[in-house]
Amino acid sequence: MSTLTLPLDDNTTNDPKHRAPLIAGDQSLETLTDVVSGIVEQPVVPRSWYVAFAVSSALAAMFFALIGYLIFTGVGVWGNNSPVFWAWDIVNFVFWVGIGHAGTLISAILLLFRQKWRTSINRFAEAMTIFAVICAGVYPGVHIGRVWFAYWLAPYPNHMTLWPNFRSPLLWDVFAVSTYFTVSLVFWYLGMIPDLATLRDRTQSPLRRALYGLFSVGWRGSARQWHRVERGSLILASLATGLVLSVHSVVSFDFAVSQVPGWHTTIFPPYFVAGAIFSGFAMVVTLMVPARAYFGLKDLITVRHLDNMNKIILATSCMVGYAYGVEVFIAWYSGVHYERFAFLNRAFGPYAPYYWTMVTCNVIVPHLFWFRKWRTTPALMVIVAVLVNVGMWMERFVIIGISLTRGHLPSSWRMYAPTWVDIGMFIGSFGLFMTLFLLFCRFLPMVAMAEVKTVLVHEESHAAQH
Amino acid sequence: MQKPKENAGLSDEATTAINPRAAGPFALAGAALLGGGFVLGLLQRDHLAYFLHSYLVSVCFVASLCLGALFFVAVLHATRAGWGIVLRRIAEFLSVNIATVAVLFLPVLVAVIMRNHWLYEWLDAERMREGSKHYSELLAIKRPYFQVFFYVARSVGYFVIWWALARFFFTRSLKQDESGDPNLTLQMERWSGPSLLLFAVSLTFAAFDWLMSLTPEWYSTIFGLYFFAGCVVSGLSSIVLSAVMLQATGRLKSVITPEHYHDMGKLLLGFVIFWGYMGFSQYMLIWYGNIPEETVWYQARQTNGWALISLALLFGHLLIPFFGLLSREVKRRRHLLAFWAVWLLVFHWIDLYWVVMPSLEQKRPQFGLLDVAVALGILSLYLAGLALVAGGKSLVARKDPRLGESLAFENY
Repeated sequence: MSTLTLPLDDNTTNDPKHRAPLIAGDQSLETLTDVVSGIVEQPVVPRSWYVAFAVSSALAAMFFALIGYLIFTGVGVWGNNSPVFWAWDIVNFVFWVGIGHAGTLISAILLLFRQKWRTSINRFAEAMTIFAVICAGVYPGVHIGRVWFAYWLAPYPNHMTLWPNFRSPLLWDVFAVSTYFTVSLVFWYLGMIPDLATLRDRTQSPLRRALYGLFSVGWRGSARQWHRVERGSLILASLATGLVLSVHSVVSFDFAVSQVPGWHTTIFPPYFVAGAIFSGFAMVVTLMVPARAYFGLKDLITVRHLDNMNKIILATSCMVGYAYGVEVFIAWYSGVHYERFAFLNRAFGPYAPYYWTMVTCNVIVPHLFWFRKWRTTPALMVIVAVLVNVGMWMERFVIIGISLTRGHLPSSWRMYAPTWVDIGMFIGSFGLFMTLFLLFCRFLPMVAMAEVKTVLVHEESHAAQH
Repeated sequence: MQKPKENAGLSDEATTAINPRAAGPFALAGAALLGGGFVLGLLQRDHLAYFLHSYLVSVCFVASLCLGALFFVAVLHATRAGWGIVLRRIAEFLSVNIATVAVLFLPVLVAVIMRNHWLYEWLDAERMREGSKHYSELLAIKRPYFQVFFYVARSVGYFVIWWALARFFFTRSLKQDESGDPNLTLQMERWSGPSLLLFAVSLTFAAFDWLMSLTPEWYSTIFGLYFFAGCVVSGLSSIVLSAVMLQATGRLKSVITPEHYHDMGKLLLGFVIFWGYMGFSQYMLIWYGNIPEETVWYQARQTNGWALISLALLFGHLLIPFFGLLSREVKRRRHLLAFWAVWLLVFHWIDLYWVVMPSLEQKRPQFGLLDVAVALGILSLYLAGLALVAGGKSLVARKDPRLGESLAFENY
């Protein structure tokens, strides 16, 4: 564990004449490497990590056991019914895909916008992206029932001349999510190569040296290698920027192309993207606040970083609130009976508590972030971030579940209730997510050391003194 | 690393203010052109239907320039951006000129007050009177919203909000030119967030009221964002174009560099894509859903010669400028970038033309002399207003605490 006792400078103040330092304490190139590598290199792993890992992996095991049960028994073990053919399975899929979006926004869009504060948090958030997309990817895979035919989703020449329906957004989803996963993984890995080489050079263990050596693909830190990594990052950032928008837009098409009231509305693509970034940042804040305290990273991931992320949560909350408002207004304005009913049913129907929880958590609570105190106090911001995650899960249920329970034909109305398998799988997916996350914290550099070094002011200020 | 340099580079010649007297010729030309357009409109003997539609196109066009510029100013403050300070004053001029647009909007309000239902179908009382053969239940439902007084009050409200926001940033920025007080920057930053909220809501409803309600039975939740995307594209284009023209007169020579143009080019490219994203989302979902109440709007734009203009937008407003703006060289050469700025402004006007004109009950697009006269007339009056707003004032926020950062700004 690191031995940081330096006081945390308050770098959240805003003086227009000076840019506040992004890294607190008196970190030098050397101490920075020590702090970040030290987490991976500690000879004795604290017991708390093992406890957390045991709990997470047990839940992950439950997740896979339930998937096995589902596959051997059939999707009837879920609460899905007619007409609610999509329920918690798709709610959880959309929820997890959304969680992933913060990582890509931080690593790609903030790179293009020259937001250097992203260097401290991008590795962490990108890792979350990858793990969240893994959790998300499981659901559409298993919800189709006969998973052994899942490969039919891919267009490949076959003797039955089977061909997927290219007009179906469900197929677009396959391409969108798999492209997203691939590009995120490559982007994450590319940025990590210099840091993996650092770990390779520092480690005493031959096994670790071999593995870090393998994955750092012969990195020697030459100018040409740096040039290629930086160019590659920039190109991947441009590609990934489009993906931030396209993935959740395509997810929204799954609903919006239909004629289901409450699903079919043109604002869905940007609204879903804003919601995804909103929930993703909330999850990053939720996990980062404890992680930076536990691993002694407060100098690298400062209150300013948290402050900035909370501002993005506030901004995206306003966008989501805008979309809710416009939807309600247009439902009235359209004059269409079914549209109006869909929104009245959300707010005052049998699932009203879900709706009002959603509104409270997503539109009202985040406005606490107008206050500096809420943005800069870790304990307070976690409360808001957790509530946002609750609210965003509710939003997906409100959209998917409530709209299906009461469609155009009242004789087909039917309520929905989840079964223990639904609930178990949802909890289990958190287990999978946390298992991967804990492994990441244990074996990979949590902060992009090489990138943070470019924003260190230490060396410069010392040079000036001499 | 960028080293902020002192503001010594700001010689007086570099920032010589615009002469407000330039407003005179523009105002005369504008009045003459508009008058000519009005006469042409009268000659059509269609209750001024064509003239009013064309007028609405061009007045929304100049409004969108102001709104895009206002967005630029507010976002620079909200993000505490340093790079764009040297361009901010230009954007402030453009945004404050919303006052001119408000005056130019008066004829539309007069037409509404006089219940000219050749402009807005919902002004026709017959459409809402049960038992009439023109009765539409969908319109009758919206009666509380489609009231003359309510429409006028809302429109006035939008202009008041935009003018107040633009003035807020403009007056503080001018005050800082004298005092250099960094607290003014803090004040503007603090209010930029709430400003953007007000901006978003007012712009959305303006788009609904002025443009979407031309086809009163039609609705689309993304319509506000679609208009917003066009506003930002044209606002950024106007800022680029203004900067290039000022530099052509020898002003701001050493102040605005290829680095700033490069960034403006990137933003332009981004918002060109964003416009395409909005347009595609709206079109694809309506096409796929295939519900008559929604497809009616695109039906009118795919038949009777309008399909050609729809395609022209797809290429001219998205695909061609997308490839045109991709190259780094194009973004860094001001004359090339100015070409794309003009191109996008023209296509933004065509976009609005395409939104407004098909609601006229006519068969084919009839683009003609009247449209040209009205568009140039309104543009001239807008420029006259701009000369008055900008006249005698510094072209740069000369004592902004982050000006040094902006002057020394470099892309990497």
